[in-house]
Amino acid sequence: MKKTIKLMAGVGAISVMMASAAFADHTVKVGVIAPFSGPFAIWGKQFKEAVEVYVAQNGETAGGHTVEFIYKDSGGPNPSGTKSLAQELIIGEKVDYLGGLVFTPNALSVASLIDEAQIPTVIFNAATSSIVLQSEYFVRTSFSLWQVSVPMAEWAWEQGIKTVVISVTDYGPGNDAQVAFTTAFEALGGEVLDAIGMPLSTTDFAPFMQRIKDQSPDAVFAFLPAGPPTFAFVKSYNENGMKDAGITFLGTGETDETTLEALGDAAIGLTTAYHYSAAHVSDLNQAFTSKLDEMFPGSVANLASVGAYDGAHILYQMIAAVGSDRTKAVDVVRGYEWESPRGPVSLDPDTRHITQNVYIRRVAKDENGNLINEEFQTIEAVPDLGLL
Amino acid sequence: MQETQIKPAENLAQTAAPARSRKFLIKLLIDLALIGVGIAAYFIFPDNLGFITRILIMIILVLSLDLVLGYAGVATLGHAALFGAGAYGAGLFAVYFSADPLLGLLVGAIVGAIIAFISGLFLMRAHGLTLLMLTIAVAQILQEIINKERAITGGSDGLLGIDMDPIFGIYAFDFFGKTGYLYALTVLVIVFFALKILVASPFGAMAKGIHESAPRMRAIGTPVYWRLVGIYTISGFIAGIAGAVSAQVTELVSLEAFGFALSAEAMVMLILGGLGRLYGAIIGTVIFMVVHHTAASIDPFNWLFVIGTMVLIVVYFVPEGFMGLPVKLRRWLRWQK
Repeated sequence: MKKTIKLMAGVGAISVMMASAAFADHTVKVGVIAPFSGPFAIWGKQFKEAVEVYVAQNGETAGGHTVEFIYKDSGGPNPSGTKSLAQELIIGEKVDYLGGLVFTPNALSVASLIDEAQIPTVIFNAATSSIVLQSEYFVRTSFSLWQVSVPMAEWAWEQGIKTVVISVTDYGPGNDAQVAFTTAFEALGGEVLDAIGMPLSTTDFAPFMQRIKDQSPDAVFAFLPAGPPTFAFVKSYNENGMKDAGITFLGTGETDETTLEALGDAAIGLTTAYHYSAAHVSDLNQAFTSKLDEMFPGSVANLASVGAYDGAHILYQMIAAVGSDRTKAVDVVRGYEWESPRGPVSLDPDTRHITQNVYIRRVAKDENGNLINEEFQTIEAVPDLGLL
Repeated sequence: MQETQIKPAENLAQTAAPARSRKFLIKLLIDLALIGVGIAAYFIFPDNLGFITRILIMIILVLSLDLVLGYAGVATLGHAALFGAGAYGAGLFAVYFSADPLLGLLVGAIVGAIIAFISGLFLMRAHGLTLLMLTIAVAQILQEIINKERAITGGSDGLLGIDMDPIFGIYAFDFFGKTGYLYALTVLVIVFFALKILVASPFGAMAKGIHESAPRMRAIGTPVYWRLVGIYTISGFIAGIAGAVSAQVTELVSLEAFGFALSAEAMVMLILGGLGRLYGAIIGTVIFMVVHHTAASIDPFNWLFVIGTMVLIVVYFVPEGFMGLPVKLRRWLRWQK
């Protein structure tokens, strides 16, 4: 009896080994590191849904290789945790590619690792310009604050806006947005009256509104992280009668699709410059958003979704071309051009950052009465201006 | 309390010395076994060295918290201030001065101790809720200073450019995390034995005395305030070591090193394991982090439930933490009879 069990166990073990050996030829693993728990869990959710939509539309294979996505939860900004997750994915799970990465410190923490292990890594979000310079294995499909803030400054100047007060959250991306906007706006001849750094955790913006109002600028340029701060800022902008005081709202991602409905009708008319709107008019975007809605009812596409969707596309391109022979994978996609749900895009051959259209949008109501970011002007093929 | 009950009276006079030496031997064996577990983990989990290294670092931090909270009874929710000080101390030292790991470790420890001493000067005058709030405030002030000095510290992007030299010029930090693991393990073993000696010394007894009754200690002539500042400074030294190792192994430090979440998690781990016991700090940290890690890799979306439930059960049924479990079980078995 004992012998039989042993024999069976042995046969079982061998067949499992054979199966995994047979698999090794065809399966390419991709590790996706993102927040799936805690206050930032929405990012992981958006990433995963978008990747699954891409897989549903394009099949589970790329160039004969089955692609397997493995998700790991990084929580919030947590570089040491992210690095050890990446280590486990590379050494333990034997992944050939990495993806995801929402926060700048998390992305930076894997730079030396992916260099050493030669793992092409597609950043779905982390937007600080300098990240891609830290490793030749980084490819980024999101955006950078420079990329969207400079077009905003230029558009504002064209509208006859001469004076601006900048009001940003006092952290990395906020600082990036402020420097980018100031540089572009002053180069054109505009005047930045004041730059206010607001604390990351505050949701009471009335004092800032008063300070802005006292200087009576033509416009206020704001950058805040998506979520409660944005919501409270826009609400405060409306309640303090800024619009009536003739102060135009200029922003970037403040009217994110996932929080737009919560802003309500007060948001109508807000102008922002950004790389993606869920209401972008194209067949591909239509296919993407309707498939997303079909697979995950109630989900809306936003910047995280499109970053992950295009990230999956880039991963598929690399895998189709080289499979798990990943050392040459990044070279395959340098300068690669494709059609994304956000419009025509390409990867810069040097910086490996996405070059894309930036759209000037205003919040409006669609035919169903839902709030959308309506694109009305396009600045074509903007590279990451922070890296020039 | 229990020990005096169990020990028969006739044992005390004649056999006290051999009994004590036997006890010492058993304890030594337990410690050696623990080190053995640490070394065995290196061979058993070659894929997870990065994660286990984080456990080791966390144990060092929780040990330093145990000294303050468990032994001296000073409630603090800002221990990350000292961890972060060590991490940024070692990180900035590596970026701007020297990438030698051991020198950096010393710098991190000293920075942790200095911050602990300065903040301790006013923290140790406060008690209760005031003290809790002040400890949180210290961590937040430090975090904001680092955030504002973006040009030097990288602000919220994190401190970039830490590239450690090999240890002793021989053992380079590799991407498998082997060197990092053995380095952290060695540091932990040294810290653990140093703390063992410390808590068994008259100084340690004094700390426990302050915990039990500060007025009595004052009455027998202990300068309670200065002793507490001293304990807090030593704790800062050790928390600084934890921060420094973390900075060196991760090669990046971010503002989260000062985060409230870190302080709170360290406290939960300590309470899980058992306050006022060095082994409690080890067991609590290992169990918390392993459960966290396993639950998060099985279900990266809903694992928080598992952690929450575990903490709830332990705090409710075994308030002394896992270290109190044997006594609880014994009592329960006796009750069953």
